[in-house]
Amino acid sequence: MRKVKVNVHQVTRLEGHGNIVLNAKDGKIEELRWEVTESPRLFEAMLRGRSYQDVAFIASRICGICSIAHTTASIQATEVAFGIQPSEQTILLRQLLFNAEMLESHVLHILFLAAPDFLGVDSVFPLVETHREVVLMALRLKRLAYNLAELLAGRKTHPISCVVGGFARLPDLGELKAIRSRIEAALADFEVIVKLAQTFKIPDFVRETEYISLKHPNEYAFIRGGICSSDAGITPVSEYLRVTNEFCVPHSTAKYTKNERDSYMVGALARFNNNYGQLLPRAKEAAHELGLKAPCHNPFMITVAQLVECFHVAEHSLRLIDQILARGLEEEDNRVKVRAGRGVGAVEAPRGILFHDYTYNDQGVLTEANCIIPTNQNHNNIQKDLESLVPKILDKPEDELTHTLEMVVRAYDPCVSCSTHSLRVTIK
Amino acid sequence: MKPKVAFFDFTSCEGCQLDALNLEGELIDLLAAVDIVNFREVKTEREENYDIAFVEGSISRESEIPRLKKIRDQAKVLIALGACACIGGVNCLKNSLPMDEALRIVYKDDARYYDTMPARPINAVVPVDYYVRGCPINTDEFLKVVKALLLGKKPEIPNYPVCVECKMAGNVCVFDRGMFCLGPVIRAGCNAICISGGRFCWGCRGLVDDPNVDSEKDILKKYGLTVDQVTERFKLFNAYQEVAK
Amino acid sequence: MEQKAVLVVDDEPIVRESLRDWLKDAGYQVTTAETGEEALEMVEKQDFGVMVLDLRLPGKTGIKVLEEVKAQRPWIKSIIITAYPSAETTAEAKRLGAIDYLIKPVAPDDLERLVRETISSAGREPTVAAEVEIRPKPPVVEIVEVKKPFVITQDSLRSIVESLAEEMEIVGVKSRHGKYVYDRITSFEELCLDYDVTVMPPTKYLLPAKETLLKFKVGDGTRVSPVTEAIPRAIIGVHPYDIKAIELLDKAFLATNPDPNYNARRQNTIIIAVDCLNPSPKSFAPSMGTHLTETGFDLLLTDIGIDYVVTVGSEKGADLLAKYAEVREPTSDDIAKQKAVRDEALAKYKLSLDVPRERLPKLLEESYDDPYWESRSKTCLSCGSCVMVCPTCFCFDVRDEVSLNLKEGERFRNWDGCMLVDFAKVATGENFRHDKASRLRHRMYRKGKYIVERYGRVGCVGCGRCAIACLAEIASPLETFNAIAESARIKEEAKRIVREARAETELYAPRLAELVKIDKLTPRERAFEFRFMDDKGLGHRPGQFVEVSVMGIGEAPISISSSPTRDGTFQLAVRSVGNVTNALHALEKGAIVGIRGPFGNGFPIEALEGKDILLIAGGIGLFPLRSLVQYILDRRSSFGRVILLFGARSPAERLFLDELAAWSQSPEIEFQETVDRGDESWKGNVGVITTLIPKVNIEPKKTMAVVVGPPIMYRFVIIELKKKDIPDDNIILSLERRMKCGVGKCGHCQINDVYVCQEGPVFTLAQLRNLREAV
Repeated sequence: MRKVKVNVHQVTRLEGHGNIVLNAKDGKIEELRWEVTESPRLFEAMLRGRSYQDVAFIASRICGICSIAHTTASIQATEVAFGIQPSEQTILLRQLLFNAEMLESHVLHILFLAAPDFLGVDSVFPLVETHREVVLMALRLKRLAYNLAELLAGRKTHPISCVVGGFARLPDLGELKAIRSRIEAALADFEVIVKLAQTFKIPDFVRETEYISLKHPNEYAFIRGGICSSDAGITPVSEYLRVTNEFCVPHSTAKYTKNERDSYMVGALARFNNNYGQLLPRAKEAAHELGLKAPCHNPFMITVAQLVECFHVAEHSLRLIDQILARGLEEEDNRVKVRAGRGVGAVEAPRGILFHDYTYNDQGVLTEANCIIPTNQNHNNIQKDLESLVPKILDKPEDELTHTLEMVVRAYDPCVSCSTHSLRVTIK
Repeated sequence: MKPKVAFFDFTSCEGCQLDALNLEGELIDLLAAVDIVNFREVKTEREENYDIAFVEGSISRESEIPRLKKIRDQAKVLIALGACACIGGVNCLKNSLPMDEALRIVYKDDARYYDTMPARPINAVVPVDYYVRGCPINTDEFLKVVKALLLGKKPEIPNYPVCVECKMAGNVCVFDRGMFCLGPVIRAGCNAICISGGRFCWGCRGLVDDPNVDSEKDILKKYGLTVDQVTERFKLFNAYQEVAK
Repeated sequence: MEQKAVLVVDDEPIVRESLRDWLKDAGYQVTTAETGEEALEMVEKQDFGVMVLDLRLPGKTGIKVLEEVKAQRPWIKSIIITAYPSAETTAEAKRLGAIDYLIKPVAPDDLERLVRETISSAGREPTVAAEVEIRPKPPVVEIVEVKKPFVITQDSLRSIVESLAEEMEIVGVKSRHGKYVYDRITSFEELCLDYDVTVMPPTKYLLPAKETLLKFKVGDGTRVSPVTEAIPRAIIGVHPYDIKAIELLDKAFLATNPDPNYNARRQNTIIIAVDCLNPSPKSFAPSMGTHLTETGFDLLLTDIGIDYVVTVGSEKGADLLAKYAEVREPTSDDIAKQKAVRDEALAKYKLSLDVPRERLPKLLEESYDDPYWESRSKTCLSCGSCVMVCPTCFCFDVRDEVSLNLKEGERFRNWDGCMLVDFAKVATGENFRHDKASRLRHRMYRKGKYIVERYGRVGCVGCGRCAIACLAEIASPLETFNAIAESARIKEEAKRIVREARAETELYAPRLAELVKIDKLTPRERAFEFRFMDDKGLGHRPGQFVEVSVMGIGEAPISISSSPTRDGTFQLAVRSVGNVTNALHALEKGAIVGIRGPFGNGFPIEALEGKDILLIAGGIGLFPLRSLVQYILDRRSSFGRVILLFGARSPAERLFLDELAAWSQSPEIEFQETVDRGDESWKGNVGVITTLIPKVNIEPKKTMAVVVGPPIMYRFVIIELKKKDIPDDNIILSLERRMKCGVGKCGHCQINDVYVCQEGPVFTLAQLRNLREAV
């Protein structure tokens, strides 16, 4: 009579709070749950009644890692509601800013949150002794991403200069030029990380699911495009509810999502699977070196897909900077004319597709809001992955079993406190 | 013996913890000076024995209170990290609504499964020794507090308004550019970064010790704002005080 | 007082007499001596501030005299004069503590300047060791006569600016967000020379918002090194009112205790001024006499349409024209046009003072208790905008920062202002200007009275920046002056003060001292004995204080507790109340601290000699008073009766128990003590210190009372002393304020118009009757 009891309270190396619960007896699973215990933040309630000038500022505070993603989605939703078309200059700057956050988030996840698992240590701190150069490199890359974001928006966490219609302050061209060489150097750093990643012991686990991301005809989509499903094709962003289909799980009260199948995945691997062909050359090379081929159905490879995206983001940023330097920058009139309306903004946060849906009255005051967070969309998929994986490893020793379950959750790079919804689960 | 440092978070976006470690070479120096024994976001092992605790996030659920009290009992020095912990932050925006209404707005019929209470800063629950303010914090100020603790000295945090640093930075006053700003009553220490970034001060660092809030409100009215608009702007970060009044 | 007394020692009559006459003309009290022995007799009879000493004397040599005077009156500063300088003798003299030397024949101006600087300097002993090179006399920049005007074209100006840009940083006026600011200029087109006023004044380049003063290392050995920055820079577009502000800063920072950091920047700055032809509606420069200037710039440009009339103000300016511009002589039309545009500009000013500005000091003096201050300051936000934008504000704070390894760091200064709430707060929490009305009044008094009286220059230049910046619209000094106005007139002199000050880089750098002994007096109070690492003495007077540094924690003022007659070491007694004093209490023997000073005026020994002395110490007031007690006992024959009254709160809080016992036994001193409340073992007097005073029999005219204690004690003690008919001039007190720089610059220790670190901390009661904030 083998009893297996796993209760990981507040999984570590995770952004946000979540638990894993497993109860099994004699090879039969009685309970298996991925629970999110984050406190309800109730952002939709907080945004109501606020002027459009404050909305993005508040929405940014949904998350500390992907505040730029929330800010961008929020501003774009407002712009759609008011019928404002951002200028080409604004789009270039937003893409560059977005790349900065993508880079920082991926480096943080790959080297600080996930790598310890693949290298068999508890955290990044012991790596300071054993892999000092790698740690310094990771810090350097994070610092580069911070500096790039500071240059464009004043600050990386909760950016300052992003406004509806554009930017309240333009970056200095000289400084853009100077940071360009650091981005070039970053590409060399990524090569080193590739070598390191090739030593990772990545579990071999495959479960095919539906992959959802943005898709754009001309670029590897981060801030614009339509909603692409690997099963069903493209849906316009304004009709996102048809894709997300949020529902509650009784007693579990996790808001889950599903589309064509029981669950779907968003994030780096979903983007990779849907848009592989639009990656820039260095990224494609890296994917090849790392043995990542589209479509890939192993969630542990999400981390690898993030590394591939790092190459893309760096190369794309160089191109963007060259474009901006060639065109120069012009002060633009950011004055906003408000009107009643509804708009949806969708971006690819580092962890996956993110929706902000706002309705304004004719005073420019927000009356309704709905936000669907990427991690929310992954909860269901994580649950299904656990359900598929656990039977295969149930006879392993308890701590190895526990560790593998944690690794599944971590692989998704969840951003739990983004969940403006919260779950409270009681374990019997 | 290196002091043992622990990081904890409650209802927050976790941006402040990450910004605290937004260091390059200084991270190596920091790890040489202190032992980080507890940091859920970055490491798995944790110790229940620590000297200094940094706490991020406000308290917005009953279950968070005993957890916070346990931390206060254990730590010799407790430091509130970020606006949510120091003054309540954006989380308090929902305090002006009745709690069940707030839940209903978000969860509709499923609201009955969720619990929440008016959000509050951590010093509403336990005594706090020092504050690292802002949304997010300023990494330099965080390091300043750490260094002060290591030296056994009281951290030198300004008690004057943002205007001082805004002028030092050479900015043109926001009021002269058709916007309005809470700077004159908000505590400096951020180098007026939001004004330098083209916006204005939202007050995320909280009020100075003795603010002339009435004068600020009069000035804002002079520039064409109603009392309601002004109070709404204050509430973004300082709702805990405003609503409590 | 005796600080103005100079002793001249030289065997040649003609030298003696010339030096005596020059110094007398300059206002000093001069005594002469022909030989070393005579000099020593003089020093015994009388106190001097400075001794001018020839090295070659018959009989006792100058070096021997120097040595013996140092032992007798350690605080006398000596200037060596010699016709035969050699490295060895000057090194020896320096080692014995001579301040400086002059080579014969001596010029009267050089001597007078050196004596003046020496007397008012903060007691710096040179820290340079034996090696001294014979330096040539430092050159003095004379006031340059304003030269003839020339005319240059726009192109010439462009050529000047672009050529300068290749050698140095160029800052100038450009537009930003619809206003004007000073910032780096990358192309000539960016300059907007027809502006009205900038947000921040150009003084930010001479006194920047944040500036490193020292770098230090602690750990294995403490090392401190001063830091000055000298980026060559040209400032283009400075208006006359800002020029006048710079002239004030020059006086405040260079004339006495030359500030090495300010000096370095000032020497490396070229100023190209422009006449203000489009004044801001808030400006009242003509009322302050600052809308035009004839001094203070290298070049001054007046825009007369197509060309500029350029007035040369210095050699540097003449050089620039010669090298980079095509100049022509002005025609009479040009000069007429220059006058015309200036007159046109003058007519544009909307605001003016209702009273001649010379009357402002008296006007303000009479308005101290006016309800205006209270009502005007009601809406003040204490936001500091007015002091930050003001070109004549220069108060600063000084702090330490360290790196994470705690082994190195810097001491830096940053802008501060008297309008900010905590400006006058001390470590115990007391705030000497805690209400808005007193802060506003102090600022207006600085601008209209104190600066004028202290520096002889206008305190507000009428630029209007504070009026523009103040959201509550209460900052304009014009409105305040006018509001309390009568007619008055202030005379103004335009004197250029920029001079080559000696590059004393060590004004803020402490001397290192080792802690050699610790006495735990009570749980909260300890006495520390220090010896300087370079083994030189402190050279202080009783009643002075030093600034003690624990690098990384900060710096704090502490009174000196030992007499200068006890050579080798000095003692500081400290109560632990704040960051620095707590850190001191944590030190162990052998620790290294930094010491600056001695500062302050000290007790007036000469006024005490020959009189009966009544010393009254309340609690830790004994700390500074002890230095005087020891001095008096060491020179006992110079004084009449000596009575010492000491009051502690309780027996456990009595200080220096061994000495108290010795004093109570000694026939040289009449010692009485009391405690506020006793305990079971206490057999002595119980009651507050004032209870001891009636019991003492004294002759009021012959008696000098010296009182030191907590502020509350003074009031009651003074009442008792006045009951005994002791005249106000005979009652001497020592006051506490927040001291930071110690050299009369940072502004924190002001009581009305005096700087406690310069004119205090010792005052007579007669003086205090005039200091309203002191009570």
